[in-house]
Amino acid sequence: MAWPFVASHPSRMKLAILSESPADEAALRVLVEFVLARPFETLPLSLRARGWPSVEQVLPPIVRHLHFQTDADGLVVVVDSDDSVVHTPAHEAPGYHHPFCRICRLRHAFRRTVRNLPPRRPPAAGAPPAGPGDARVLRAIGLAVPAIEAWYLCGRDTAITEAAWLEGQASGRPPYTRRELKWRVYGTDRPTLPFEVKRAVQEVSRHRGDVRRLEHDFPAGFGALARDLRAWEVG
Amino acid sequence: MIAAIEFRNFKALRSAAVKLEPFNLLVGPSGSGKTSLIQALLRLRALAGLPAEHVVGLPAAEAGAAQITFHFQPPYQELHVVLHCAADEIVCNRLAVEHPPGLEGERLWAELRARLLGIRAFLFDHYAMGVPPREAEDKELNSNAGNLAAVLAAWRTSAPAAYAHLEGDFRRIMPEFAGLDFRALAGDHVELVVRPADGSMPLSADVLSQGTLHLLAILALAHAPQPPTIVCLEEADRGTHPRMLREVRDALYRLSHPAASGEKRAPVQVIATTHSPYLLDLYKDHPEEVVLAHRRGRQAGFTRLAELPDVRELLKEAHLGDLWYSGLLGGVPEEPGEEPNIE
Repeated sequence: MAWPFVASHPSRMKLAILSESPADEAALRVLVEFVLARPFETLPLSLRARGWPSVEQVLPPIVRHLHFQTDADGLVVVVDSDDSVVHTPAHEAPGYHHPFCRICRLRHAFRRTVRNLPPRRPPAAGAPPAGPGDARVLRAIGLAVPAIEAWYLCGRDTAITEAAWLEGQASGRPPYTRRELKWRVYGTDRPTLPFEVKRAVQEVSRHRGDVRRLEHDFPAGFGALARDLRAWEVG
Repeated sequence: MIAAIEFRNFKALRSAAVKLEPFNLLVGPSGSGKTSLIQALLRLRALAGLPAEHVVGLPAAEAGAAQITFHFQPPYQELHVVLHCAADEIVCNRLAVEHPPGLEGERLWAELRARLLGIRAFLFDHYAMGVPPREAEDKELNSNAGNLAAVLAAWRTSAPAAYAHLEGDFRRIMPEFAGLDFRALAGDHVELVVRPADGSMPLSADVLSQGTLHLLAILALAHAPQPPTIVCLEEADRGTHPRMLREVRDALYRLSHPAASGEKRAPVQVIATTHSPYLLDLYKDHPEEVVLAHRRGRQAGFTRLAELPDVRELLKEAHLGDLWYSGLLGGVPEEPGEEPNIE
């Protein structure tokens, strides 16, 4: 068996989360469970990216590793949009790919990687029934606009939405900065890591399993993640 | 505390200036002036302990002689301190002070001088940290942290709250360890030992990894009950895994921005050097805290990252560390055959 050994609960999905920091990962674990509405397992594989554009560079080898070396059902990836193009419904048109949209680029990188992968090994005799990711690793990609702290403030500050950010991009007057978002969440733009993790989990836990507000206020970035996750049909 | 430093003929810093923030990360090739800047601060500390020349109007530099002028943040903005020497002297050994007239000026200088005596520079040496030191009397970390065991052992008794925070941070960052302990050895020496979380045999400092000892030394700086007024730390990334560099940054921010960590003490100005693009990456949101040291021919100088006109645009497309490595920002070694651009 390849390292790392994956000890799994047969009825739970096995996921890998690729994020920029332990704080992001802690928040995503909570949010993914809210969307899936069921517990899941994470692989004993600590994936981390150094932010954009590293995520795009490391995604193909990560997908290949998950495919060949693990029994992961899915991979969750969330990146900050920073000042890049925000994903919109127009980008969802069949065959469309916006060259500066990070969701479009990550989906493209994922698609290109899995396209030529051979099928995974068939389950051994007596193994539990095939899961959703047995043929290939599923993907769920989200975009935090402009940073994940905006998601943390969802429901606390009605002025912080994707629509407000898009309007600001169009007018050339951003409604807030990443630094301001940090101040609002942490009370400083230099939070310690443990405090960042604590605040991240506190804020996303406020939604208590109901992510409709997040999907309403962040329809493209969080909505895309939620739609991807719900599309994973559990076997 | 120090707002800016101007250099004239000080080693490779022939005509250079640098503005300083509460936190400063210096990057650049060897010989670009990073260590010279720290040496200038140490010289300032040394001379601040001696009688100074009180002047009206800053002394003019002798032709070819080294001169270093220090400017300060409020409330010391009216004071200017100059280290200087004659043209035939190698080391700046004269200190001139210009301060406002009268008792108030003298009081400000006395206060500033006391703070300048608190400047400390560190270059941690894990071999030195592995040798049991004598029990500490001054409870202050040496420049190579060779007395780490003695300092921590002393703090455990004299500053239990600071010690508890330090040990708590150590356990959180390195969960394979359950805590620290100390063994008294012959001749008043004390040995640092670390208790593994799995209950196995405690490990003495001489068998700990370089990274573990460096982390402990950085935590000792960050949690010092009476920290220096200015901390200069060379090779801040030394022995540290790239993913753990965030902890190094947080520890140094604890000094320079104590309120961000919930502390109420006075800020410590921090000047750290690194060659790690990964550590540099962590400052993309604070370009004002990054100083690029560069060298062309025999001249060295400094540029603040925030002063580069297109830095925000460049950061949209690439990591700060990668931009630095690429040479777009400067602060990289000269290539063989490159024409020195001496102005």
